[in-house]
Amino acid sequence: MNYKAVIIGGSAGSFQIVTRILNSLNPNFPLPVLLCLHRLKHVRSGFVEALSLKSNIPISEPYDKDQLKPGNAYLAPANYHMFVELANRIALSTDEPVNHSRPSIDLSFVTAANAYRDKLIGIILSGANRDGAFGLKKVVDNGGLSIVQDPQESEVKTMPTSALQLTKVDYVYTTDQIIRFLQKL
Amino acid sequence: MVELGIVDIREIIRLVNANFGFDLSNFALTSLKYRLEHIISKNSLTSPENLFRKLTSEQAFFDTFLSQLFVPSSEMFRDPSVWRWLREEYFATLADNALMNYKIWVPFCISGGELCTLCIVLKELRLLDKVKIYATYFSDSSLEQIKSGVYPLKKVQVSAENYRRFKGDANFEEYYTMDQYNAKRVLDLFDSVEFIKDDLSFGKAPKNVKLVLMRNSLIYFKPNFQDDILNVIYQSMSAAGILLLGLQELITKNQNTKSLFDPQEISESIYKRRIG
Repeated sequence: MNYKAVIIGGSAGSFQIVTRILNSLNPNFPLPVLLCLHRLKHVRSGFVEALSLKSNIPISEPYDKDQLKPGNAYLAPANYHMFVELANRIALSTDEPVNHSRPSIDLSFVTAANAYRDKLIGIILSGANRDGAFGLKKVVDNGGLSIVQDPQESEVKTMPTSALQLTKVDYVYTTDQIIRFLQKL
Repeated sequence: MVELGIVDIREIIRLVNANFGFDLSNFALTSLKYRLEHIISKNSLTSPENLFRKLTSEQAFFDTFLSQLFVPSSEMFRDPSVWRWLREEYFATLADNALMNYKIWVPFCISGGELCTLCIVLKELRLLDKVKIYATYFSDSSLEQIKSGVYPLKKVQVSAENYRRFKGDANFEEYYTMDQYNAKRVLDLFDSVEFIKDDLSFGKAPKNVKLVLMRNSLIYFKPNFQDDILNVIYQSMSAAGILLLGLQELITKNQNTKSLFDPQEISESIYKRRIG
């Protein structure tokens, strides 16, 4: 394996799944983990604190142009889009919402796909809107690896179903399978 | 949606520099790419070559190009606690004589959202006619837009929610009327504002400024140029002046600029210019 980053998209309802994933990662996880989760725009604090309680790797809401480091997780801050900029940096933006969302999963995925090409793993979890489907397609188009949470398992299926409709993905996995996959990296 | 490659972007940077002397090379690449793609789509240009051609053959288009290049302010009263700080912890504590010759600068007045917010805060404090505000803009069409006071309804609805969280003195509807699609500013808030047309070298920056509002503008530039802008801001400010940045713009760990400003209220990304 030769991957450079993992990016995960979901809505606030994926909180439990993301917590389980972060709780199961090896503390020496070899890649940066980007998390773009839909969230209330005016609630600034609480989300990253709650996720960090059980996370095995440090998680933060990055500042603009922060350097991405392996074994760290980065949660898109409230009311900002989170881009991957050249030289392995985060770039934030207050540009218009996309799919009614800021942060938009599509924008995070598209910019990560441009930056990491075939060295990116994109994962779409459950969610209530189609944001992320186009982004995951871009991951696939650039040769990256794509995983969608099994809609059978998702509480809210719109997001994984839209991703599956738009793209032929590599794996449809349950949460347990996603965790086992990441543990083997 | 047209997708631009790095070669296309370099060509646009080159053309804009050669034809208009405007330097786009300091923009952070990812958001620049996104904005250029937005310009192509907004002007129904269908290919990068059509944009090259338009920039080369239509002088007047460049002003539109600039107005669409910069990201407009997302909403008024974004982060209400910042504006509450300004009202309660800052302006309310200023002595009367501190307002003598009191200058405020908005270095990136793109769509006027932050400027209007500032003016409303000051108006409710009955300070608006006691201060001088400088607002730097980059294109005539965006100035027209700012002065017209017309915004998409959705934005103003979000702003009205923010205003309620800010706990202003009025109803937001006293400032904006809303119809089915748009909202329009009712009051003229800009009597104390001087609009300055400039470029990113900020050659016309005001001097002895006591308060600078520059929230979520640095994020669109490369780190080196962020430093340059912060140096310009530093030069423009008087000692102990206050600088407001966006919540995810942190300058304390930047080796090149951390000697210029001290954190004043770090949770709200508010800094104080150092003396000297």
